[in-house]
Amino acid sequence: MLAFISRRMAAAVAMLLVIGTIIFSLLIIVPGDPAELLLSTGGGSASAEAIANLRVNMGLDKPVLTQYVTFLYNTARLDFGTSIVDNGSISSVIALRLPRTLEIIIAGTIFALLLAIPAGTAAGLRAGGKFDITASAINALLTSIPGFVLGTLFIFFFAQVLGWLPAGGYVAFATNPMQHLQMLVLPALTVGLHLATIVFRMTRASVLEMRGHDWVRTAVAKGLRRKRVVRRHILYNALGPIITVVGLQLGILLGSTVLVEFIYNWPGLSGLLVSAVEQRDYPTVRAVILTVAAIFIGINLVIDILSSLLDPRIRLQ
Amino acid sequence: MMSVRNFHKRMILPSLFLAALIIIPFAAPLITADDPVKIAVRYRLAAPDLEHWLGRDEFGRDRLARVLYGGQVSLTVAFVATTIACIIGTFFGLVGAYFRGPSEFVTSRLSDIVLCFPPILLALLVVTLFGPGSVTLVAVLSVLYFPTFARITFSEALRVTSLDFVEASRALGTPSYRIVLGTVLPNIAGPLSVQYSLTAAAAITIESGLSFLGLGVVPPAPSWGQMIRGARQFMNQDPLGIMIPCAALVLTIFAINFFCDRLRDTLDPKGASGSSMDEVSKPKAQADAPTIKDPDVVAVINKLRLETAHFGTPAVIEDVSLILRANQCTALVGESGSGKSLSSLALMGLLPGAIRQVGGTLQLRRKSDEVVDLGFLDARTLEDIRGNDIAMIFQEPMTSLNPIHKISDQMIEAITAHRPMSRSDARAHAIALLKRVGMNDAERRIDSYPDQMSGGMRQRVMIGMALSCEPRLLIADEPTTALDVTIQAEIIELLQTLRQDQGNGLSLLFISHNLGVVADIADRVAVMYSGLIVEEGPAAQILRDPHHPYTRALIESMPSSHEELNSARGDRLPAISGTPPLPSARPSGCTFRDRCPIALPACADIRPALYPSADGERAVRCLRAPEAPAGVMNHQTEAA
Amino acid sequence: MTPSDCLSPTRRGVLISLGAGIVAMSLPQGTLAQTPASVLKFGLSTFPPTIKPFDNTGGAANTVKLMLYRGLMGYDASGKLVTELADSFSWTDPTTVVFKLRPNAVFHDGSPVTSADVAFSLNAITKEGSTAFLKSDLKIISAVEAVDDKTVKITLKAPSAIFLDLLASYCCPVISKKSTDSETIGAGPFTLKGSEKNVYIEVARFKDFYMADQPRVEGIRFVAYADENLRYAALEAGDVDLIEYLPWTQFDTVEASKTLKMKATLGPFMFLLFNVTSGPFANPKVRQAVGYAIERQDVVEAAFAGRGEPLFGFPNPRGSTFDLADPAHEWKYDVEKAKALLTEAGYANGFECRLLATATYGMHQDTASVVQAYLGAIGINATLDLPDWGTRVTAGKEGKYDIAVHGTSGNYNDPDALWSLLYSGNPSYLQSFGFKSARIDGLLEQGRNEVDPDKRKAIYQQLVVAYYEEVPQVPLNWRIQAYAMKQSVEGFEQLPGFLSGSSGYALDETKFA
Repeated sequence: MLAFISRRMAAAVAMLLVIGTIIFSLLIIVPGDPAELLLSTGGGSASAEAIANLRVNMGLDKPVLTQYVTFLYNTARLDFGTSIVDNGSISSVIALRLPRTLEIIIAGTIFALLLAIPAGTAAGLRAGGKFDITASAINALLTSIPGFVLGTLFIFFFAQVLGWLPAGGYVAFATNPMQHLQMLVLPALTVGLHLATIVFRMTRASVLEMRGHDWVRTAVAKGLRRKRVVRRHILYNALGPIITVVGLQLGILLGSTVLVEFIYNWPGLSGLLVSAVEQRDYPTVRAVILTVAAIFIGINLVIDILSSLLDPRIRLQ
Repeated sequence: MMSVRNFHKRMILPSLFLAALIIIPFAAPLITADDPVKIAVRYRLAAPDLEHWLGRDEFGRDRLARVLYGGQVSLTVAFVATTIACIIGTFFGLVGAYFRGPSEFVTSRLSDIVLCFPPILLALLVVTLFGPGSVTLVAVLSVLYFPTFARITFSEALRVTSLDFVEASRALGTPSYRIVLGTVLPNIAGPLSVQYSLTAAAAITIESGLSFLGLGVVPPAPSWGQMIRGARQFMNQDPLGIMIPCAALVLTIFAINFFCDRLRDTLDPKGASGSSMDEVSKPKAQADAPTIKDPDVVAVINKLRLETAHFGTPAVIEDVSLILRANQCTALVGESGSGKSLSSLALMGLLPGAIRQVGGTLQLRRKSDEVVDLGFLDARTLEDIRGNDIAMIFQEPMTSLNPIHKISDQMIEAITAHRPMSRSDARAHAIALLKRVGMNDAERRIDSYPDQMSGGMRQRVMIGMALSCEPRLLIADEPTTALDVTIQAEIIELLQTLRQDQGNGLSLLFISHNLGVVADIADRVAVMYSGLIVEEGPAAQILRDPHHPYTRALIESMPSSHEELNSARGDRLPAISGTPPLPSARPSGCTFRDRCPIALPACADIRPALYPSADGERAVRCLRAPEAPAGVMNHQTEAA
Repeated sequence: MTPSDCLSPTRRGVLISLGAGIVAMSLPQGTLAQTPASVLKFGLSTFPPTIKPFDNTGGAANTVKLMLYRGLMGYDASGKLVTELADSFSWTDPTTVVFKLRPNAVFHDGSPVTSADVAFSLNAITKEGSTAFLKSDLKIISAVEAVDDKTVKITLKAPSAIFLDLLASYCCPVISKKSTDSETIGAGPFTLKGSEKNVYIEVARFKDFYMADQPRVEGIRFVAYADENLRYAALEAGDVDLIEYLPWTQFDTVEASKTLKMKATLGPFMFLLFNVTSGPFANPKVRQAVGYAIERQDVVEAAFAGRGEPLFGFPNPRGSTFDLADPAHEWKYDVEKAKALLTEAGYANGFECRLLATATYGMHQDTASVVQAYLGAIGINATLDLPDWGTRVTAGKEGKYDIAVHGTSGNYNDPDALWSLLYSGNPSYLQSFGFKSARIDGLLEQGRNEVDPDKRKAIYQQLVVAYYEEVPQVPLNWRIQAYAMKQSVEGFEQLPGFLSGSSGYALDETKFA
């Protein structure tokens, strides 16, 4: 187990190095000059001299190789450095933003799991029944609604027509817990509903598969209560694939919150990336991408460990 | 045969739906003469009228034209990108899987790296950096999705290349490209086509999302995402504007998903929602059934008839009656598919959901001496009876235990389900049971997982578990078939011993195709063929002097050595040709006549009844048996 | 073991990890007190990338800068030049001006504003290596001399008609000489209270501000809403009290509203730029043809929901002291004339070209869409190029386009404000790529250095003709810029014309009813 984890960790570090290099090179060939951009915000312009001076201040006059080595060295020390736009510490901005993105994702995931696992189980147990047909049809429809369409429609109905919830924005939990939670509802619902459709399908398929196994017949033959058979001999076994899917989705969600954060003006990590790309704030772009990739790789690692805990067959290998 | 018909039937609706949604946008010039990019600012946001069915957008452009031409753009981008991704991914996957070595490493690492980037994030980054446009979009989407294709191709191709016929063509020196293109590729086309549709749907979503952010298709060329972006500003004044592209987008993705689901179900029916029932179908109540009078009788199956749930299909079990007594071992013998297992499952109330009991009764004397008709019991009482009054051992010890729970947990739950006791008491009881079934070091091994045990050990666990509540009836469904020969003998011996040791007069229903084993253990034998009991009586008499030609064939087919015994597995009868007929293809008259060496023309007309012998000890279902009434063959018209 | 126990290992695990997550995210992020009622909540269109006093990093940054820093001069709510840190000033000759500083003006650290601070600030703008917006404009200063602690004498190299306007710029504040790169000490009406990158900036009333009764609110909380629809939704929902850049599509709603009101001005203008180094657009006739080919009212309708005015010639700002109207030198919509000009230039059959705009700003994209449609009508087939803003700026600077859409505003209501758009000595993406005209440059220089109003007017009238004949840009329309606010917000005014971006000055007098 330990060897397994350390091997995976080494692979993860190598992967991050490759990703960092790819991002670094991408940003070099990209058009757009952060210095000129900063001094042209909103449509103005500055003198060529001022722009040149700002480039020096930003450290962009140094040779590319020097910049690359500095970047690798600093990243290895887990130091993301400072933004070239406002000289703020990137690590502290990420530390502030990441939890907010995770908050939407986690709230959405809880919603998705609470909704989809019972529904998926019920549908899987009675595949072809009325509930299954209804739920599967609704699910197919929901799967087909892209998140940004759902978000736009949510704002339209819940905020503008009905006026039940704020249209978007963010207030720290510490400032106003009630308002914070109100603002969380729509983004979390948008993320959660989409995830729920995936979890539902997976749960249904997994339960359908598990319920056909011989050990389920054994459990019934033992005279176990139906509830217990379902929980312990169908659902518990089905959890492995469900966890894998949820885990993978969490990683993907980390990226796809871009649209959700945009629509709801939620100041999360994705929004930081978007504005950093707009401003050509190279260190911030690199730091955010690396963070997201690291989390993604981390999630995959955790899934592997979790599934081996759930299934002794993997553990025993 | 069935799958082909179903394939067509189930695919018609989704195919039509999808085709319509793909064709309609491309038929735009036939539907509207309007130009999707022609601006008429004076008519901005005009309401629908006869000339502009869906009204006009914020530039006064015709919405119908825009939503149709927008579909062309969205679909083209998505399908071109998916096709490129599919080709590149399949290529990498095939090369990786077929040649292995370094190419495998490159394929999997490359995929891993791309998969590290969440799709939208990467798309957003690249499109922002390299400027929007259809070409950038196609490039980004292709890069995003080829790893998924590579992975699927890789794993599927690995499976296929290890198949015998591929190995064979390799050995014959067929060129690699011909093996890959001619043999491997067609075999992995199914999963690939499912992935293709899935990816196309995802590509449409991302394309529209990026266009929504202004990073997708470049105006004035319409695209659905862009239309949503434009209409969003006017959402309050003009909800129709945003509803139209949203609806088009959602419908198209829905059509693809729908198609994809059906395709997957058709290619891999395992996941299909075929059965409309619960996993267990309930026994049927029969009001006029006689009750068991004889205190020695533990269970009675009377005139059982089972059908599949599909309407109009013939019975899988036509007529089975059995009386099971205490201290007796009844063997149910027959080839695979004869209905032995179904009969025993019916007695457990464990019939698969697809099978229905349409006639007969199932009665049981519980440990309390109360006689119950299974058909009258509610689900909870059935649960109380299972494992407590009747227990069952299955054929496959490798899959009959849940692989992710410890043996201890699985045994303890069997005990505590019927006997309220503490966990530690139940554990002690379980250890005692394991010792009783001959497991060494039971204290330690009880905490292992099924996968840490051999098949024989697992079957011992199953037996121990079955006996945990001291049932009156134990059903053993081919308990040794899956085991190795020496272990088989041990298990049979164990069952013998246990049967004799059991204080309360255990009745054993032993299901087997192997008459050698039956001879060792059974008191009575019932032979089944094609859903019917064809011969029944004391084991010694039947095995010595079979009256039914089928029983005779079974006995003649009995393997002499243990090796053959193991290899035969009841699938083939060397003594007679042919296989048992499917329920839907049963011949008229005697169901065995096609294979029968002594069949008469009359056998085609008369379906024989189970004729009892004079002493009532045995019965046989054959016109040529000594028990058959003398005149039966002369009353053809009457019987027909 | 009860049935409910059977899921417990995972369930417990999930709960623990969720719990940890929730605790982590609910930890107070820089414990903010509840916003008091008299704090004005201001919805910005973008988060200020920096708030460096002398750099121009956009309208949002400039508004915030006006809260923290003040210069010698400023504007009142009607757009009139007024003194800020200066108590009074006098021109001793056309190139020498003497400022008396306000005796009660103090910096946020409590130290008085002195002439040494003024000299320090002006030097910081003009010194070597500075990135200041006004660096080249203020090169006109030859000396800054501290006569005494509260008197400062500035000598210019040449007379300047717009020197005081430069001093009133949001990019020309006076900061304490104790300021460092990381900490700037200003003398504005508010002090910086807290901020979070890309989310909000909060400022608190500076009690020692030299205007005793100002500001009238306890503080201002600036919140960034990059999406205009959301910005408006936030105002409508009451999340903020005041927003800038009210989306044009919402003007009708606000006008009809009982709870909201707006302040609008015809400020910035939209125009087309050309790459004149090669191809058809090197020929002024082709550029003139473009000028005649576009129905400008349609741009106003489609891109600005009808909120603007067509602009047919030289963009003399609203509020300018000169009337430069000259109908003889304007491009009215005239397809025949446009086609004739194209034929004359040898492009009777039209040509293909690339039209550069940006997807980042909807108005640029929408304007480009209309322009593209009208160019098509005279045979010019333009392909739209809509990169993000960053790429757009670089493409503009490097001349990677044939025609480009742009919109901007000057900094003061004087024809000289067009200097940065027309003066070829300072090329940028705001100017047609490769465009150079000694005639236009000369007129601009003359106008700047002439202090007699009548003579200036005559110079700019010539500029109007030169603008029409040489076509450094094709003007499209003025656009209305509006702030929207709750009815309860009083005293806020939109400064007129090009001063729209300096409306932050009016926040001094803004209060709640």
